[in-house]
Amino acid sequence: MTLGLTDRPGTLLKALEKIAMNGGNIISIIHSREALTGGYVPVSLSVEFPSHENFERAKMGIEESGIPVLSAESLERRIETVLIIGDLSVDRLERLFEGRGEIISLVFGGGKGSPYVRVMFSVSSEDRETLLSSLEELAERNNCLLVCEEA
Amino acid sequence: MIRCGIIGYGFLGRRLAKHLTGYRERGLKLTLLANSKGYLHVEDGLDIEGLMEEISTHPGFRASHPMEAIENGLADLLIVLTPTNVYNGEPGLTYIREALGRGIDVVTADKGPLVIAFRELTSLARSMGASLCYEATVGGGIPVFSLARHSLRGDRILSIRGILNGTTNYILTRMHFEGLTLDLALQEAQMMGLAERDPGLDLGGIDSACKVVILANALLGLDKKLEDVKVKGITQVTPDAILAAKELGMTIKLVGSVGDGKLSVAPRLVRLNHPLCVHGTLNAIQFKMEVMGDLTLIGRGAGESTVSALLSDIEWIISQRTSPREGH
Repeated sequence: MTLGLTDRPGTLLKALEKIAMNGGNIISIIHSREALTGGYVPVSLSVEFPSHENFERAKMGIEESGIPVLSAESLERRIETVLIIGDLSVDRLERLFEGRGEIISLVFGGGKGSPYVRVMFSVSSEDRETLLSSLEELAERNNCLLVCEEA
Repeated sequence: MIRCGIIGYGFLGRRLAKHLTGYRERGLKLTLLANSKGYLHVEDGLDIEGLMEEISTHPGFRASHPMEAIENGLADLLIVLTPTNVYNGEPGLTYIREALGRGIDVVTADKGPLVIAFRELTSLARSMGASLCYEATVGGGIPVFSLARHSLRGDRILSIRGILNGTTNYILTRMHFEGLTLDLALQEAQMMGLAERDPGLDLGGIDSACKVVILANALLGLDKKLEDVKVKGITQVTPDAILAAKELGMTIKLVGSVGDGKLSVAPRLVRLNHPLCVHGTLNAIQFKMEVMGDLTLIGRGAGESTVSALLSDIEWIISQRTSPREGH
């Protein structure tokens, strides 16, 4: 979201409080001082919220505190875990996520007798189905069992 | 007086017969017991207390095909408790078809006939003015169908999911809490009488898939068969994989589901505080309702609790025969 902040100390903090109150995790802040227009400095924030509802509540809170929200766009991403029981190479798995999801953690365990891979990843709602189908295909091709998370 | 017959006089039949001894005052008498070897018929009502465990040694036992009893109209209500064959529905399918075709009410715990011919049997029952009740086929004693059709009829079921097989849930529970291997947990379940000698249908997810088919057809108005279910069993689940789930506050459960016209059974990662995360032989069924949202039912999925479901269906038929008011 891009906020129009007056160039006064504490204004950004007020906006950040509303974000924190709604469980937002700030990924990046870009402060465009050179783009000052009409007394406002555009500040672009990239934030991760637990849900779309939290995003909407934070946006409303910021506006209610007198800070204009110049633009706001939400991209819904979910954090999920899958287990792949069987022997699978890390390269194949990482390649499959390229451009579709982001691996947060990758745990290989079970040793030679009963290997497994546990993958925690974030994925957008649009890419979720295709990513899970590709994971299933990969698991089946390698005689592995894919165990997805029940929502 | 409703004349009741039981076809398939095994564990469940014996338990049910005992409960039916007190039904005479309620307008129902047990007149017929049949197994694969023949049948026993007493028009005035059988003396259950004095009956031997093995009916074929009883002096009045007739070594004929049980179909003869149906054809001769020896019962007005037939309880079909035949062993399940999920691939052709027999022998239960033929008995149910014949009984309904003669306007005889049917209560069954046999999943096979419903998985093979749900639409055919329900249409036949409707056209002959007979009732076909099958509460005992899914979730043991959990009142799935009666609850959905009566208490929830003002709302709409969007999807259904659940832990539908007590044997696999027992095995996965033992693997989760004790770190047992699947083989050891299975042996334990067999020793306790919770698993069949051939556990293939349970472990392979087929038993759960049959229940998903019945739920889909009975409650979501679909016309699905076993081959429409994407099935994965639990045979590849290892104690290490369950431990990996446990580290994140989850476990592995065999979940059956139907929604958006898709039917599936697969091992899934389930959070330990999830409503479907029940342990041991318990079953759990969750409806996603249009108005109410989620509704979860939990109960024992097998054994004596199944008798409760059969009795509920029998009570329903008695009420319909004495004062018919609404459809089932």
